[in-house]
Amino acid sequence: MADFVQLLVNGLAIGSVYALAAIGFVIVYSATGVVNFAAGQFVMYGTFAGVATLINLQLPWPLAYGTALIIMAMFGVLFFVSVYLPMRRGSIVTIIIGTVAISITIQNAALLSFGSWPFRLPSPVEDSSIALGGTIISTHALGVVGVTAIMVGGLWLLFNRTSVGVGMRAVAQDLQAAKLMGLKVNRLLALSWVLAAVLAGVAGLMLGPMWFADVNMGDPIALKAFAATIIGGFGSLPGAIVGGLFVGLSEVLGASYVSSAYKDLISFGIMIAFLLVRPQGVFGEKIQDRG
Amino acid sequence: MAPRIPLLIAAAVLVVGGLLGAMLPEYYLRLLNVSAISAVAVIGLNFAFGYAGLISLGHAAFVGMGAYGLAILTTTIGWSPWLAAPTAIVATAVLAALVGYPLLRLRGHYLALATLGLNVSLYIVTSNWIALTGGTNGIARIHELAIGPLAFSGEHQFLWLALVVLALVAAMAAIMHASRHGREMMAVRDDEIASEMIGIDTTRVKIMAFVLSAVCAAIAGCLFALHVRFVAPEDFTYAHSITYLAMLIVGGEGTIVGAILGAALLTFLPEWLRFLGPAYLLFFGLLMLCILVFLPTGLVGLGKRLRRGSRKPVSSISARAPEATP
Repeated sequence: MADFVQLLVNGLAIGSVYALAAIGFVIVYSATGVVNFAAGQFVMYGTFAGVATLINLQLPWPLAYGTALIIMAMFGVLFFVSVYLPMRRGSIVTIIIGTVAISITIQNAALLSFGSWPFRLPSPVEDSSIALGGTIISTHALGVVGVTAIMVGGLWLLFNRTSVGVGMRAVAQDLQAAKLMGLKVNRLLALSWVLAAVLAGVAGLMLGPMWFADVNMGDPIALKAFAATIIGGFGSLPGAIVGGLFVGLSEVLGASYVSSAYKDLISFGIMIAFLLVRPQGVFGEKIQDRG
Repeated sequence: MAPRIPLLIAAAVLVVGGLLGAMLPEYYLRLLNVSAISAVAVIGLNFAFGYAGLISLGHAAFVGMGAYGLAILTTTIGWSPWLAAPTAIVATAVLAALVGYPLLRLRGHYLALATLGLNVSLYIVTSNWIALTGGTNGIARIHELAIGPLAFSGEHQFLWLALVVLALVAAMAAIMHASRHGREMMAVRDDEIASEMIGIDTTRVKIMAFVLSAVCAAIAGCLFALHVRFVAPEDFTYAHSITYLAMLIVGGEGTIVGAILGAALLTFLPEWLRFLGPAYLLFFGLLMLCILVFLPTGLVGLGKRLRRGSRKPVSSISARAPEATP
């Protein structure tokens, strides 16, 4: 039982990271229709922005985290201008191949600047843990779950209580109509990329101390984020959260109760099962017109 | 389309490939072989994506099934490659039909993600089912293909095998393209509902395209296993599926010539960029992005545009309907 609680917290922590990556993916997809295959590299860049500010520049952590997220926001703008704008009229496949191409570029740019050796990103609550009965729970894991909850709450406020957020939802629903209503559509589209990059940045900063910071970490995260979006429902924010947590839990619980070699097969198997039986996922969009 | 076009393509493959094989140094022969093998796989992908419009990100999984099928049958049971290759190809075709039946109800990025999941699942299985696949160590010492005393062991000998297979596959694809079945596939790609209205069984057409693409992939997989004589899970990851798709798009989707050109270009390009040192993959990615943005109809489309450029501008319709050229 004690082990189970510990696994549960670890699963929720890694699931929170997947959920944030999936939310970024969904925000971009709903607003721009782009299936972003570079989503995993966004998270990798988040981690390495942390490596740059925390390890290389030796900044104190509040400043380092702030700087890393500002770097990520600028990265989002750069991506919008240099990748989204030239490709937005392409077919789905063009966009898939294009975002994969940019993903290769991003990964190798990181390899050139940071090298292939993994880094260990420190956590602000370095190695501390809480004893609960017989269970020892890492403070970092609890913190990750807490930060994700705060981020999700913030997003809910943004999308439901601010005019910018409502504008972003309008653009996601109908771009032409939003333009006719006089919304600054391009600015809102850019904002969705910035939001995705910042969310990935938070995910990356939280992931760094759990995994090693490694330039090849992007692809596995992207695959988990895709599985999370399909399971939760393509284009749905609550779906991304539920799907992310589910994939994280199935990974951690599957690794210890089923088989550590086949732990990833569980989430992909469930993803494929969902595609076959209920492609709209748990909270999904209606799919007859999409794709 | 005139019936001589398949013959023309096959002859061109043999002549151009043979000439290149005679002129190029040993090191490039290997790349030429790799291009020919990739071209077979990309022609297959062209059935699914170019003709029928099915976005598959799992093509490398079928290449892997062909390669692993041949590797396992020759090394653990000791079959001759002549027997193992057809068995592996048929087995892959059956698997593709079984997988395709439920999956092909999906469209667009749903199908893309499902096939991607399939490819990742295959990677997990091949790297963990150690008793059958040798895990990440792969399977080595695959028997070489031989006709009597003549073995396809060196790059030169193998090139002829690869070219003949490529020529055959290309000719078959061109015949298929011109046939009623090929037209049906393109009809389904362009308008599924209208195709159903005129009595085309769209499920059957999609599965046929998918199975044909898997058969070509399995042929490429068998060639791969016979060429490298070593298979490992790393050779069939979803990154390879993306590469096949990129080859098709760079060459020109919906065309057989484009499939071959794209396969050759993207095989040689990383080698030409080697002088950039560790930065070459970075430039490779950027270059692909530029091709996508500035050359959306691929190399074949560029050729067509250059030829017509003096007479009339290419309309968007002819750019989107590549069936005029094989």
